[in-house]
Amino acid sequence: MRRMTTPRDVPVLELREARPALESEGLLSSAYDLRLMPGECALIRSRDTVRAGLFADLCTGMVGLRDGSVRCQGLDWATMDERERWALRGRIGRVSQVGSWVDLFGTHFNILTPVLHHTRIPTEQLIAEATELAVRFGLPGLPVQAPGRLSPLDLRRAALVRAFLGEPALLILEDPVEVDMTDLLTPFLGMLTQARDQGAAVLWITRSAALWGGYRDAATSRYRLIDEGLFPMRGA
Amino acid sequence: MSALAAYPLTALRWIGAGARRQLRFTLMLVGAGWGVVRDGVRPNSWRRTVRMEYRNALRDAAGGGFLSTLVVAALVGFGIVAQTVYWLSVLGMQATTDSLLATVLVREIAPVLVGVILLGRNGMLALTEIGLLTLGGQMRAFEAEGVDPFLFFVVPRALATTVASFTLGILFSVVSLSVGYIVCWVEAIVTQPIWAFLYDVVGALRPIDYAGVPLKFLLTGFFVSLSSTLTGMDVTRDDDMARLMPRGFVRGMMVLMVINVALTVAMS
Repeated sequence: MRRMTTPRDVPVLELREARPALESEGLLSSAYDLRLMPGECALIRSRDTVRAGLFADLCTGMVGLRDGSVRCQGLDWATMDERERWALRGRIGRVSQVGSWVDLFGTHFNILTPVLHHTRIPTEQLIAEATELAVRFGLPGLPVQAPGRLSPLDLRRAALVRAFLGEPALLILEDPVEVDMTDLLTPFLGMLTQARDQGAAVLWITRSAALWGGYRDAATSRYRLIDEGLFPMRGA
Repeated sequence: MSALAAYPLTALRWIGAGARRQLRFTLMLVGAGWGVVRDGVRPNSWRRTVRMEYRNALRDAAGGGFLSTLVVAALVGFGIVAQTVYWLSVLGMQATTDSLLATVLVREIAPVLVGVILLGRNGMLALTEIGLLTLGGQMRAFEAEGVDPFLFFVVPRALATTVASFTLGILFSVVSLSVGYIVCWVEAIVTQPIWAFLYDVVGALRPIDYAGVPLKFLLTGFFVSLSSTLTGMDVTRDDDMARLMPRGFVRGMMVLMVINVALTVAMS
C-alpha cells in the first residue's frame, strides 16, 4: 500500500456508466459516473449509510457490474484476476461503518493488518509510523486493547490511522468524523490535505453536507448519492 | 421442435441442480482442499499476516490439544491396552496382542480420537470465530482491505491443524501404549521391557501402515479444520450460531468418519 505510483495523467478512480448488478441489495442499477485524478477530492452526501457502503464497495470492485466499467489507477476491476484485485485493494485506505473491527485481535493488529499483508516494510517501521499517526490523531499511542474496549471516538481515531497508514493511492472515507468530534477534525483535515498533496485521491462520503464544514471549498467536486444515482450538487 | 429439444436439457438441468445441491458441501470441501494445497505451496502466499495466523493456529491446535491428548491417551491405554493384554493372556492368545493393538489402536482408534479432540477444541472454535466474523460483516471488511479471507483464515488453520494432528496422533499412540504397558507391568501381566513391547507393536504394523497411518492423521486434521472453517464462512443471513454449531459438528464428524473408513478400506 505504499508510495503512490499513479501517474499524474491517469485517474485514480474512474466510473464510466457503471451499472451495479445487485439492485436488490440497496444500490439501484443506475449508471454511475465519477472521475478522480491524483490529488483530487470528491465530497459525496448520502443520507443512507447502507447505500454509501455499497457505493464504496462499487468503487473497490466488490460489486459486480451489469454494464460500464470501474477503474482504479487505470486498471479495470472486471478484467483483473483475483490476486491482482486483492493487491489493488491493498492500495486503498478505507474508513467504513460496518464490520471494520475484529475483536479476535488487538486494535493494533487490526490497524496494521493491511500493511503487514500487502507490503514488505519492516514491522518495526510500520509500528513506528502507525504510532506517530495515532498520536497525531489524538491517541496516546498505538492502542493494543480489543477494539470493543475502545470508546467510539478512539475507535474513529484508530480507523483514521488505519486508513492513512501506508500512503494509500485512494482514500474512501465513509463518515470519518462527526460534528461533535472537534478535536479530531483539525488533525483529520491536516492529514487529508497532506495525503492529497502526495497524490492520493479522496472520496469523502457523509450523511450530512454540514460535516464537510469549511473543507467544501477545498474539494474538487461535490455530489449527492440518491436512489437514482450520483448527481453533482448545485454550485459544485 | 425447439420445445421438444429443450425438454431433455431442462430435465438434465434439474437433475444436475439437485445433485449439486446435495453434494454442495462435499464439492466445496474438495475445491477448498485443492485451494489450500495450491496456496500453501506458493511462496507469495506466506505473507506476515498468514505466517502469524499459522503460528497462532499451530500453538492453539498442538499446544492447546497436548494435555487433552495426554489424558485421553492415558485413559485409552488404561482401558483398552491393559484390558486387551490382560484378556488375551487369560485366553492364552498373547501371540495376537501386538497385531491387535497395532490394528485397533494405532490404525483405527488413534486417528478418530485425535480427530474428535481437534474438532472439539479447535474446529468448533474456528467455526464460531469465522461464523461470527461472516455474520458481522468483518469478512467483507477484510475483502475491502485486499486481505483474502481464504488465505488469511482457512489456509494457515488447515495446514497448522494438519501438522498438529500428526504430532498429537503419534503422541497419542505412544502414550496409550506406554500407559497400557505400565498397568500390565504393575499387575505382572507382562514381564518384557517396555522397549520390547513397543518394538513388537511396531513390528506388527504392515508396510502399508507406515504410509497409511500418518496419512490418516494428516488428512483427518486437514479436513476437520477445512470443514469447520468452510462451514463458518458459508453462512447466510438466515443463519445464527445456534444452527451453525450443530451443523459444523455433524459435518466435522462425517468428514472424520468418511476419511478413516475410506483409508481403512484402501489399506486393507
